[in-house]
Amino acid sequence: MENEGTVGLDCNFELKEVQKLEGHTDRVWGLAWNPVTGLAGVPSVLASCSGDKTVRIWQQAAATGSWECKAVLDETHTRTVRSCAWSPSGKMLATASFDATTAIWENVGDDFECVATLEGHENEVKSVCWNSSGSLLATCGRDKSVWIWEVQPGHEFECVSVLQGHTQDVKMVLWHPSIDLLVSVSYDNTIKIWAEDGESDDWHCVQTLGDSFSGHSSTVWAVSFNSTGDKMVTCSDDLTLKIWDTSLDLTASGSDSSGLWRHLCTLSGYHDRTIFSVHWSRDGVIASGAGDDTIRLFKEIPSDVVNGPSYNMICKKEKVHSMDVNSVQWHPKVPTILASASDDGYIKIWELKAIS
Amino acid sequence: MAIVLLSMWNTLTVYRSYCRISRVAIMGDPATDDIFDSSLSLEDDHLKEGYNEGFEDGKILGKQEGKDVGLKLGFETGEELGFYWGCVNVWNAATRINPDVFSSRVCKNMKQMEELLDKYPILEPEDEHIDEIMASLRLKFRIIASSLSVHIEYNGYPKSSEGNTIGF
Repeated sequence: MENEGTVGLDCNFELKEVQKLEGHTDRVWGLAWNPVTGLAGVPSVLASCSGDKTVRIWQQAAATGSWECKAVLDETHTRTVRSCAWSPSGKMLATASFDATTAIWENVGDDFECVATLEGHENEVKSVCWNSSGSLLATCGRDKSVWIWEVQPGHEFECVSVLQGHTQDVKMVLWHPSIDLLVSVSYDNTIKIWAEDGESDDWHCVQTLGDSFSGHSSTVWAVSFNSTGDKMVTCSDDLTLKIWDTSLDLTASGSDSSGLWRHLCTLSGYHDRTIFSVHWSRDGVIASGAGDDTIRLFKEIPSDVVNGPSYNMICKKEKVHSMDVNSVQWHPKVPTILASASDDGYIKIWELKAIS
Repeated sequence: MAIVLLSMWNTLTVYRSYCRISRVAIMGDPATDDIFDSSLSLEDDHLKEGYNEGFEDGKILGKQEGKDVGLKLGFETGEELGFYWGCVNVWNAATRINPDVFSSRVCKNMKQMEELLDKYPILEPEDEHIDEIMASLRLKFRIIASSLSVHIEYNGYPKSSEGNTIGF
């Protein structure tokens, strides 16, 4: 299904800038909200990583509601930090760098200490992600491989498996929100789904979403699952967003991960530059950030039994940054808060509001 | 009178020899090939001769070059395999002293690495799986080194550009 550049009927939302966070001295590549903050009196915490080789931790002050830089994680990575991810417990932060290592940091009081360094990739690591139980970590990089690590007591990490299959740079890895299914997206234009055969450390590719599945025609930069995990959205250099859904029965316990994903919908005609980042909020709003310095928001409109679900753009915000938008991330607990990071070195916090 | 006759006879004999030589020179000895044949095939003959000479020289040079390349590659491969064998032997020795020194997953990887080393067709450089096995070996080694958090790397045979750093 194509939504060809028509402005959706309910484009009556706007993004209001809450604050601009300054501090990084080079482009900001990635953002990660601490998943256990922002609720029940716990101030929201956001991590950002940059080409300046550092990671900054930002916290929202309870009294004023304004954001401050609480910590700078430096003197560890020797090159750009490309991606960061909090463990599900919020206690550890993994940072992936162009220096081919992934560092694991632990929050000790107000400080962060690097407690482990994972080596293995031959060159730049592009993305890192924890699974839903926090027992596994996945990394991917320019060496075309995806590494799966098991988290062990005493900050030990053991390599479980190295997944080879992509023929080019792997841009991002993401675990499914509830089952141990891993998705990777690459410069080779494909999306690969990986699953374990039994409990034998035997991971293999169960599906490749490429041409034959109505896949992307250029580099796929990012992927995001909806909150229930039955749909995912990918964004690409081909200027489109694609929605995929699965026949997996996620409600059955001990889910068999062999269900296949199929193409549901392609959103094209919106961005006119590479879409670098996409994130699906708990409320079902898809945010996309692109090389055209714009953020767009989409929402599913109730599905028609005949045609299936389709998506409308509900908001478009231009010139959100003066350069490429590298990352957009919704707040995990407050679904109207969005953070964006850019090549311009700034991070912006936004609030989604209905236009009165 | 006899002197005149004799000198006439000499002249005639000389003249007849001359004619015979000339006739042979112009028309060739009918019992052998036409002497111009060899000038018509001159280019072909030279080509064939050149080719044969080159071929013979090439055979010798090629064999020497092949021997040099084989020696170089063989040494590099042997050195790399030897390095991996060394690692596997050290790890096995450690396991014999303390069977629990490595986790079961790491032990499994070490066993797989040993199997790959056994499988490497060292005497068959034309075997189609040779590159695949070496790539798997290198990956297995990186996985084990990473799981043990050990900073050992196989650096390969020093390239000539790095030769200056070798001291004795």
